[in-house]
Amino acid sequence: MGTSLSQGVEEGRCGDRLWLYATYHCNLACVYCLTESRPGIANRRTLSRETMVALAEEARELGFGALGVTGGETFMLSDFPETLADLGRVLPTVALTNGTLFTDRVLDRLAVLAELDVALQISLDSAEPARNDEWRGPENFAKVVATVPRLVERGLRVRIATTVDDQTDDELERLCELHRSWGVGDDDHLVRSIVRRGRAALEELGVEPGPTDILPELTITADGAFLHPFAPTVRHGVTDLDLLVARQVRPLQAALDRFLRIVAHQPAGTDVVRNIR
Amino acid sequence: MSRLRLLEHDEAPLAARTIYAADGTASALKRSLANAPDILETLLPFLGQIFDEGAVDLTTKELVVVRVSRLNACAYCLASHRPIALESGLPEQHVAAICDERPLDLLPDRERTIVEWVDAYVLDPGGISDELVARVLDHLRDDQLVELAVLIGATALLNHYCTAFDIPAGG
Ligand code: SF4
Repeated sequence: MGTSLSQGVEEGRCGDRLWLYATYHCNLACVYCLTESRPGIANRRTLSRETMVALAEEARELGFGALGVTGGETFMLSDFPETLADLGRVLPTVALTNGTLFTDRVLDRLAVLAELDVALQISLDSAEPARNDEWRGPENFAKVVATVPRLVERGLRVRIATTVDDQTDDELERLCELHRSWGVGDDDHLVRSIVRRGRAALEELGVEPGPTDILPELTITADGAFLHPFAPTVRHGVTDLDLLVARQVRPLQAALDRFLRIVAHQPAGTDVVRNIR
Repeated sequence: MSRLRLLEHDEAPLAARTIYAADGTASALKRSLANAPDILETLLPFLGQIFDEGAVDLTTKELVVVRVSRLNACAYCLASHRPIALESGLPEQHVAAICDERPLDLLPDRERTIVEWVDAYVLDPGGISDELVARVLDHLRDDQLVELAVLIGATALLNHYCTAFDIPAGG
């Protein structure tokens, strides 16, 4: 018998969140984007709503405790508000978004999330508009700053994610003041380095992750199952396969078995350095 | 130019890295198969069992592999298996005959009968006569014929794969 998911989680070998890459399509084209996402991307590698919901249900049966949905920009999918509600009814869910596509109509469609265990994790890299927009594109700061209070007002849980390049401590402190002013607490502010994979590797940005720096969490994309959410990166339009776990993703059990076989060989316990999270 | 990515050791999925030698090298065929680690997991042990010595000796198996690869005109498999066939003990003249470079009459009766049966199995399985089966069964048991039939299928699988994806011979 190999390691079970619960045993792997207990021993600190892996997390119990299943990640889904909803799409690689995005309305932005950030310099450090790990997936080379951008508006005109040819291969969007989209998971359908039915596939994501079916995977979520399988995940709950298999003992996963939470879901994460990422991309690309999740809200590029026209039915994503409803998909997110479906997922939130299955397991606690966090959806990563750049926060720039929240029209009034989208906000109305998201109202139901206030009743569910769903968080929206929005990227914001600096409290200085020019600095933030240098990484994330023109007008990004203004859009995020306009959106977050409207989400919070509607009772939706918001987390802020900051990707660190050369921000000073002062600059980060000003960002913390900003998110606190919206009612987003420090526990809901995630700060991490740029991971040097995908486009960030081509641009020589960020830090090279060591083999035990990132906690393995089974991650499903249209290309297959991967070791963690920083694994299915893209270079020159081609998906990196070095951290591919399996091509077959359904039944999820088959991908999970292969994932657990790999994590069984990884160091366990609290002494493992998990720098990137 | 291969039509599939030929993954180097460090680009290959973790589960597929065991197919690379200690110095990080692997054949072009294996490097292409590394794109599909799930398939690799069952395909390699299967091929190992079918191509290794079993109820049939290695020399006879290589005779069959080279003949099937010749019929399917697979440059990759011919380049890999001609040397293996020689190493397994097939005389050079016999290998040349199997590759249609010398007359098939050069082969002893047993080998010639097997080649005749292999040709029919690949090119016209519905046309195989009882008489041909009886003749080949003079030289092989039923179970050995089963083993060779599966070997023919596995060889054809690789022939079509390497040819269709243009896997570079010697790569
Ligand atoms: S980092 Fe996120 S927001 Fe920026 S281009 Fe990539 S997917 Fe889009």
